[in-house]
Amino acid sequence: MKYAYFLSCINESMTREVDRALNLWKKDLGIELVNLEKGTCCGGSNLDYVSPDHFIIINGRNIALAEKMGLDLVTSCSTCLLTLRRAKQILDSSPAKRELVNSHLADEGLHYAGTSDVKHLLWVITEDYGLERLAAKVTAPLRGVRFAPFYGCHILRPSALLGRDDPAAPTSLDRLVEALGGSLVEYGSKNKCCGFHTLLVAEKQSLAMTGNAVEDAVRSGAHYIVTPCPLCHTALDAYQDKALAGRGVSGNIPVLHLSQMIGLALGYSQKELGIDRHMIAA
Amino acid sequence: MERREVSFRIQRYNPQVDRAPFYDNFRIAVEKGITILRALNYIKEHLEPRLTFRAFCQAGICGSCAIRINGVSRLACTTQVWDVLTGGGDDPILIEPLDNLEVIRDLVVDIDPIMEKLKRNQSWVKPAIPEEELGRKEHIVSDEQFETINAASDCILCGSCYSECSMMQVNRDYISPPVLLKAFRMNNDTRDTLGCQRLREVTTDNGLWDCAHCYKCMEHCTKKIPIMDGIHHLREEAFARGMTHTEGARHAQAFFDDIRDIGRLKEVTLPLRTKGVLGSLGMVPLAIKMGLKGRKPPLLVKRIPDIERVRDIYDRLEADRGGEVVGAIHELPLRSAPRSGGCL
Repeated sequence: MKYAYFLSCINESMTREVDRALNLWKKDLGIELVNLEKGTCCGGSNLDYVSPDHFIIINGRNIALAEKMGLDLVTSCSTCLLTLRRAKQILDSSPAKRELVNSHLADEGLHYAGTSDVKHLLWVITEDYGLERLAAKVTAPLRGVRFAPFYGCHILRPSALLGRDDPAAPTSLDRLVEALGGSLVEYGSKNKCCGFHTLLVAEKQSLAMTGNAVEDAVRSGAHYIVTPCPLCHTALDAYQDKALAGRGVSGNIPVLHLSQMIGLALGYSQKELGIDRHMIAA
Repeated sequence: MERREVSFRIQRYNPQVDRAPFYDNFRIAVEKGITILRALNYIKEHLEPRLTFRAFCQAGICGSCAIRINGVSRLACTTQVWDVLTGGGDDPILIEPLDNLEVIRDLVVDIDPIMEKLKRNQSWVKPAIPEEELGRKEHIVSDEQFETINAASDCILCGSCYSECSMMQVNRDYISPPVLLKAFRMNNDTRDTLGCQRLREVTTDNGLWDCAHCYKCMEHCTKKIPIMDGIHHLREEAFARGMTHTEGARHAQAFFDDIRDIGRLKEVTLPLRTKGVLGSLGMVPLAIKMGLKGRKPPLLVKRIPDIERVRDIYDRLEADRGGEVVGAIHELPLRSAPRSGGCL
């Protein structure tokens, strides 16, 4: 199994532990990832406001780099996923847009044809690799550990563009937790918004969203929140203290990245997986 | 005809009498093909005449019967009981009023806040034709011109997106998805003349740039309108018209600039560029704490290899544009073609 791997800006800086964990265990599963070194920032669902032309060409280029390698493009960030898939949808449905993009890519020897799919790491694990196969690889089952799976938005909605889980009742991350031997708590916030995207423009409201989700997870009795998105992780972990202030919630809840949870079940230590880098101690 | 017993767990509340909302359970025999609205009507007629809900057209047109069914905002008249059965049909179907609005009685909510926001943002066409000539002079909208706003015109103001909105849940003063959708629709109506003024109104506090981007409005729109596309296009229009003085716009501009400069986002200065020096001061304590854990963006991010190719793209687009305002290029169901011209 070989994929092109999209380097998300936040995983290159604030949440470096996402890729560190993934790079530890990918060989155990026989997954080969070729880093998309020449790829750029996807624009984080912001670029298109400034200029839709730049948005479509820059992300057409990102996908074309994977196409040149003949590989599907995989990302560990849900907002990168949504942004790249939006570009792909526009390009795959519009010959005129493909022509525009390709006129700008020719110089670099690139061509967008629509041959590479864009996937989230969670989908690669649950669909391409398979949970039964993964369960057979588990060396340190997460027995007795209760997880509150937090999907966030951009891996679920809009379902017309993402199309895996039912956004009102997602199950993929739940099934992954179970395959690794962990157990699940029932809580209402699994498909809610973490508030990350407005942290810099409407902080108070964003923190209220973050606080609602974290409080819900704490009260559910979970030991960990686990999330497939580093942006959700940043809101839920780094901003957790601030978000819980004044709520009368006792205690905190550590937040794991998807790649760290898999790493734990495959026998890697918290330190190796960079869990000690989180703001909320595990 | 397939027929089975189904339980409904319905939220009840009369604010004048009850201290808090509570739930009543009703179990009735339902035929396949029956809608939630028909089931509610049956319960009201045969079991609980005081059960209060709003409904009118029974055809998904008037928007008055929007409620939450199993936690999701939908129209009672277009949702079939069979489609929302869970647990093999044994779980009760949870029926609750729309969220983010005050309950008047049971499933009826007060929609006045939506109407007030629509008024405040002048959510109607303000035509160029003088008042006295209205009705005497035609203003033809071509099919092509209408196509831009066709999907947005389907909004029936049912309130489902208002109920689902993540930002509404934490800020009742937020402008809300249906009002933003109307602003998009009116600003792209060729008969309208309020463009700049309306856009200025919707970009004030609690406005356009506060959308958290959760896509709940679009996911749960009862008329399948791509509401987020409308919100995107309004933000594009803000840029196209030069209304870039807001934190939201400066934030977006930073992504645009960084991709040209190094290909990646320079996170370390992102708060500064979004909020300015004073606005960023409040973030310093958390930044220090995160730095101690090694969670700090590098001061200097390495340029991607071949950054020159990316800059070439920027240069060519700039040359193509020749100083002209760039138009929207999306070919999604909602298309905006912001009329050029700044507002400042």
